[in-house]
Amino acid sequence: MNPSVVALVVALPLLAAFLLPLVPGSARRVVGPLVLLVLTGIGMRLWDVASVAPVVLAVGDFLPPLGIVFYVDSVAALFVLAVALLCLLFWPWAGEGEHLDRKQSLTLILAAACGGLAVSGDLFNVYVFYELAAVASYGLAAGGRGAAGQVATFRYVILGSLGSLLALFGITLVYFMTGTVNLAHLAELAPKALVGVPGLAAFLLILLGLGVKAELFLVNAWAPEVYATAETRVSALLAGLVSKLALLVLVRLLVLVFPLPGTHEALLVLGLLGMLTGELAAYKARDVRRMLAWSSIGQLGAAFMAFSVPGDAGLVAGIAIALHHMLVKPALFLLAGRWGGSLGRIAGAARRSPLGAVLFVLFALSLLGVPPLPGFWAKYLLLSGLAGQPGGLWWLGGLVVLLTTVVEAVYLFRVIGALYSRDEGSVAADQSATAVAGSGMLAAVLLVIALSAPVLAGTLDRMAVQMGDVDGYVTRVLTPPAPAVPIGVAP
Amino acid sequence: MTALDTVLALSTLAALTAFLFGNARSYAWLAGILLTGQIVLLAGMDLPTSASLDFTIFGQTVGWQLDGFGRFFALITVGAALASVSYMGGEWGERYAAEGKSRRWLHGSLAANVMAMLLLLASKDLIAFFIGWELTSWAGFLLMAQGTDRALRAALRYVPYAMAGAMAVLGGLVLTLAWTGTLDLDGLASAMPDLGNARLAILLVLFGTGFAIKMGLLPFHLWQTPAYAEAPGAGTAFLGAISSRMGLFGLGLLLVKMITLSRLADLSLVDGLFNARDVLAWIAALTIVLPTFTALKQNDARYLLAWHGIGQSGYMLLGLVVGDATGSAGGLLHVFNHATYQAALVLSVFAVMHRTGTADLNSLGGLVTRMPLTFLVMLMGIIGLAGLPPMNGFVSKWLVYRSLMMNGMPLLFLMTVLGTLGTILSVYKLIHNTFLGQLRAEHEQIREAPWSMTVPMLVLVGLGFLTGAAPGLALRWVAQAQAALGLPVMSYTLGGIESARGSLDMLWVVGVLFAGFGIGAILFYGVGNRSKRIHQLDNYAGGHFLSADVRYHYSDNFYAGLMHRIGPLYRGSFVWLESALASATDLTATLMQAWYRQAVPALALLAAVVLGLGWVIWR
Repeated sequence: MNPSVVALVVALPLLAAFLLPLVPGSARRVVGPLVLLVLTGIGMRLWDVASVAPVVLAVGDFLPPLGIVFYVDSVAALFVLAVALLCLLFWPWAGEGEHLDRKQSLTLILAAACGGLAVSGDLFNVYVFYELAAVASYGLAAGGRGAAGQVATFRYVILGSLGSLLALFGITLVYFMTGTVNLAHLAELAPKALVGVPGLAAFLLILLGLGVKAELFLVNAWAPEVYATAETRVSALLAGLVSKLALLVLVRLLVLVFPLPGTHEALLVLGLLGMLTGELAAYKARDVRRMLAWSSIGQLGAAFMAFSVPGDAGLVAGIAIALHHMLVKPALFLLAGRWGGSLGRIAGAARRSPLGAVLFVLFALSLLGVPPLPGFWAKYLLLSGLAGQPGGLWWLGGLVVLLTTVVEAVYLFRVIGALYSRDEGSVAADQSATAVAGSGMLAAVLLVIALSAPVLAGTLDRMAVQMGDVDGYVTRVLTPPAPAVPIGVAP
Repeated sequence: MTALDTVLALSTLAALTAFLFGNARSYAWLAGILLTGQIVLLAGMDLPTSASLDFTIFGQTVGWQLDGFGRFFALITVGAALASVSYMGGEWGERYAAEGKSRRWLHGSLAANVMAMLLLLASKDLIAFFIGWELTSWAGFLLMAQGTDRALRAALRYVPYAMAGAMAVLGGLVLTLAWTGTLDLDGLASAMPDLGNARLAILLVLFGTGFAIKMGLLPFHLWQTPAYAEAPGAGTAFLGAISSRMGLFGLGLLLVKMITLSRLADLSLVDGLFNARDVLAWIAALTIVLPTFTALKQNDARYLLAWHGIGQSGYMLLGLVVGDATGSAGGLLHVFNHATYQAALVLSVFAVMHRTGTADLNSLGGLVTRMPLTFLVMLMGIIGLAGLPPMNGFVSKWLVYRSLMMNGMPLLFLMTVLGTLGTILSVYKLIHNTFLGQLRAEHEQIREAPWSMTVPMLVLVGLGFLTGAAPGLALRWVAQAQAALGLPVMSYTLGGIESARGSLDMLWVVGVLFAGFGIGAILFYGVGNRSKRIHQLDNYAGGHFLSADVRYHYSDNFYAGLMHRIGPLYRGSFVWLESALASATDLTATLMQAWYRQAVPALALLAAVVLGLGWVIWR
């Protein structure tokens, strides 16, 4: 495969986003989905190739550490695929209110930025794509309902901008100390140059900065209101996709650039607090969308805790949790679209939308980690990762996971109880066909994963090994290619 | 394909067909056939039998294998389901469907329960066990939630308990893996006793809590009564008969097979005086006494029985923890015995409800002449529940009593006797308020329950009587269960046990008992005066005619004198504890939500940065 294809992951949707307004009327509707379909194809191809060996592209043939590097391992390839599929699933089709063109453009920009975050091989581009994703998500969130939505978006913009600033400051610090922003180069230099207080400070600033999007505790106060007021589609994309890519970038940095003492503990503590606060706040929520928003914060906390476990065990668990949440939370948000508002409104709604209710139960059970659904394996990996560590904070983390799962069960079953209540109180609208179809597709994926779990477990292990392979990353990016081979291909 | 494969396939087929065709009137026949097939296969199975399906995931092999211990529970499970299904197949099910409730879901959830329990009982490692455990919990939830909103609410109350239990087990599982490196049950049986005391204690608490919650051991019992009592009749019978015994199954594996009882006795709390085994025994004893006396206060027959279900599980655990041949045989045998009479009792209460529309013990009475067969069932059932001959409940309790005495545990023995006393008082109230005394005018036209309901009940109490007179029939399975757990195996005869230190031959006991009855009957009918039959409503007191509207049937506050003495002892502490926990969670949750509702999140971000940098500098 020609590695230049990787550039298309970013270039194609970005180009389409800006050219979209120029496309004549009737053709305009198909451009976005078409681009995303192509992106899906690229994602699949990348997955095939990258699961053998990661693909490296030096853009414009400027060799690293000078030029722009795209690095696609199997995790990145999977995320590219997920970006394309989820954007397609939550595409603003006609009939989704006004300003359709803008929403379509913004969604394409979001796809480009998310794809870019997945494949970027240097801090500078990480920052650029992060900002791009931020701008696109502000725009999408601002399309939300009424004044409350605008206030929520405003808070989001403020926090997001401050976060970007922090991240930029952290990146500057890294550059100041090492003289490079290339991740491979940094991985080589970090053990000597990026140490002590400044190194850890840089990590902390980047963590808190990018953490805004990753719903990291302390900087995630924007999330519940935005998710509750934005369009369902947007909430699903933000909670499902954008947060995971910010997380992915953070983990890459943790693995490659910041193998410092203290970083894992910081991640663990923040993740633990995020899970605790998120799940408990969700327990108190009295409407489905806020509940899902807080639950999303809790799940991201769990993912942070998983990644805080050193070594491959942590990577496996973290990837599993992130992927699972990426599948489940969008589906739940999709179903919550018509079932928003107070719980009383949906009393007995299962009778009118039986399939929707069954799907809700299925996803809720998987989120809780009920075997043999995939959520169980994610939770099992997280807990066994934490249990494998020498006591202390890690076991406390495990305890928090166990306890908050009970809380999670109570609030999710509160919804299920309302749905299946025999009161005839339901004033909520029937579940929309698109929501049922969309979440039905995700449910099919969920069930396929559940059935093929033993096979996929091996794949997951290989993904984690590839992601944790620092030496491989450095060698592949920095070794000058042999003359006969096209530039950038892994030796 | 092994026999276990076939059994699991049949139970899966039953669940699938139930969800597809459960609404059909004649579906119960198909369910009955499938269940009978499972019983036959289970009974004739070589032990242990493995399932062909197994897989490896994240370095752990997950597989299924049924041994004598699992088979014992599996037989009871499928048998209880068969009784429930046949009860559902007739008029009761018709009425249920006519009330707008879903037979499909009732059949489906029952079949799902059976399938989940079989998976659990046949698990070969802790992951398979946990899969079965969770499936059992949620299938149980489904069954509890059927029928009415009250049932749904009761089932929702079960959710935090179920999840807490599951998470405790999962916590134990991952720690076990971290400490021993294996999850295979046989492997753990050799690895677990070698763990240090602290680690073993942690595992004991985690697993023990999980299993205790399912079993309804004190102090985790509050969910069980409403959840079991409010379920639809056939479901209540199944749940009461076997569902919570899955907790006992787990405890059996944990305490006896993996940790082993002798290692348990090494875990001392107060050196030389009090060890983990004693703690468990006392928890079991308290579980016998307190719920039994709570049952005494119930005015709804379903709740009364459900409370007894909790109390009776104490005998089972106590027998198992004592752990000698007779004690553990008694504990295990009680699982089977309890299943027979509890299912029969629940079904008889629902038969009364079917005819009268109520299970309120203050609104019934005098039904003995209207529903004689149901009365007979309840009579035999309560004799079993109270643990009196000739019913099977006597045998298992006798074994437990005997082993407590033989092992020098008089205080525990006293507790069991106290529990039995409470049971006798309570079940007398049940049968008195339902069947004896004054018939209510509105019940004058009541007929006996239909055959579709009486036959399953009669078969159940018949089984209870048969295994009471010839306990050896059931003790065969018990002995295999003991062997599979590594317990000393009790030597038994058809009539009971034969031992140098005191035998029990129920054939003799029952023979003597019935000979006595026979002599009494001869005296009464042959030698006594002629008796005259009068109508139930044809009553006089002190020469005054008593009409049906004069209430002289004493039912409310039944044991007023006793309650005057022991009433102040009921403190409602557990209910208080439960609501305190809920309030505390609620309060914490409110505080957590306040964090996300803060007015100026940017300030918090700034604070986070400052705090973080402070940590970076001073760590």
